[in-house]
Amino acid sequence: MSQIWSIGGGKGGTGKSFIAGNLGILLAKQGHKTLLIDVDFGAANLHTIIGISKPERSISDFLNRRFSTLDETVVSTAIPNLYFISGAMNNLDIANLTHQQKMKLLRNIARLSYDYILLDIGAGTSFNTIDYFMVADSGIFITTPEPTSIENIYRFVRSVYLRKIHQVLRAHDFRTLAEEAERQNSNATISNPEILLYVVKELDPGKGDIVEKALRTLDFKLILNQLRKQDNPNTGELICKIIERHLALRMSFIGNISYDDHVHNSVCKKLPFIDLYPYTRTALDLRECCKKHLSINNNQNITHNFADQL
Amino acid sequence: MKLYKEKNYYELLEIYPEVSSTEIRHAYKKFFDLYQDESIATYSFFSEKERLEVLSSLEKAYLTLIDPESREVYDRNLFELGGLKEERKHSNHKKNPSSIFDFKKTHLQGLQTLRNPEQLKYLSSQNLVIQNILEQNTIPGSDIKKIRTELNITLEEIAETTRVRIEMLRIIEEDNQKLFLPMVYMTGFLKSYARYLQIDENIIVNGFIKHTNKGKQPG
Repeated sequence: MSQIWSIGGGKGGTGKSFIAGNLGILLAKQGHKTLLIDVDFGAANLHTIIGISKPERSISDFLNRRFSTLDETVVSTAIPNLYFISGAMNNLDIANLTHQQKMKLLRNIARLSYDYILLDIGAGTSFNTIDYFMVADSGIFITTPEPTSIENIYRFVRSVYLRKIHQVLRAHDFRTLAEEAERQNSNATISNPEILLYVVKELDPGKGDIVEKALRTLDFKLILNQLRKQDNPNTGELICKIIERHLALRMSFIGNISYDDHVHNSVCKKLPFIDLYPYTRTALDLRECCKKHLSINNNQNITHNFADQL
Repeated sequence: MKLYKEKNYYELLEIYPEVSSTEIRHAYKKFFDLYQDESIATYSFFSEKERLEVLSSLEKAYLTLIDPESREVYDRNLFELGGLKEERKHSNHKKNPSSIFDFKKTHLQGLQTLRNPEQLKYLSSQNLVIQNILEQNTIPGSDIKKIRTELNITLEEIAETTRVRIEMLRIIEEDNQKLFLPMVYMTGFLKSYARYLQIDENIIVNGFIKHTNKGKQPG
């Protein structure tokens, strides 16, 4: 069965596609059969990062039923072992998938057989983005050490948290419990899911336990991108600490990736960064992050799996 | 993982219950910086009111634990609630300075009293296997090992007391001549070895040298 990593993190421009593309290349070079899927439908970019300027097929061919299986939309790349499904070259309304289309897509992704499948997720915290993020075996957040993107990380994590509570409790239960919670404690609004859980636990310990257990299965990783020399290299660790302390969610810090102007050059040249500048600090950081993520993932028992959740 | 509100003071500061006041102070400083207004890692995570609440809960934890009397009271309450084990209470973990020299002395004495020299001498004089080996003209390393095992002494023990590296002792016992250092050193090692076993060092060394030379001159 394939292992699915999703790469997201709220704010745009933090380097999600850049990291997804380069991690994919690194995995493929280690001999793993890897598939990159660009699910940032409104603003697909991943193809350029890995050096394909005009993908022949894209995911919309599958959604429009031009191809009957998702497998037919897979494009092979110049790098052995690396395969790609583009989200580009599609209709302008594709960003607004219906729930049915989304579920169909997720089911079909689960059926693909690769060693690793990397989902490059778009910016924002709409249900579409969050659902792609949550089905993965490992969710990787990308942030930069700037207040704007840290704010969005926290917002994204809380949205995932709330969505999970929502999923576990059925819609009706959720609404009544949320209302009751809000009446008891004015802070327990939906913008503050951790207090919501606390109040739910008091109102109905049985349900509270179920929700808490479901939240424990979430397993996040964090990569701090674009770290400049003057930034505090511990910021990533601290963010993980805050999330563990106050949301009681597991979040492991993978590593920092240094800022490098060469990234701009590689994107302009439409060539993969890791091939073009393999001996830069940033390339080294990327390799370290890939190694660390693989080792963390192998150590953890993956208790939840993709197919079960659908 | 516990929810933030369910954490006790030690868990809030992420320290063990038996730590000293220095560690409490460090932990408080660390978290105070983390929840500061200026801190980038908590940017936008809390509302102003929540941040003040978190900071005041940390301050309360710090002030309670830093004062020995109030810490004692807090520990007792926590213990009664089942949140603290008796052996982890700070009052049971007070550290006193210990002299490293005293420690070393007792260590050495402990090793020496492990073997009674008179008893060792007596044991080897009564042991037929050992006596036979000592009467041989040449003594190979394997026989030296036999003496040691007859006396029930481990190689580690000898290495620790004589300060000869255990690899060297092993090389002697295995007659591994390729790895021999110059004979001057080897006889020195062997002398310490024999002395520890309370066996006549001259007999052992002479027998060992004869055995080694015999190997070098075939026929």
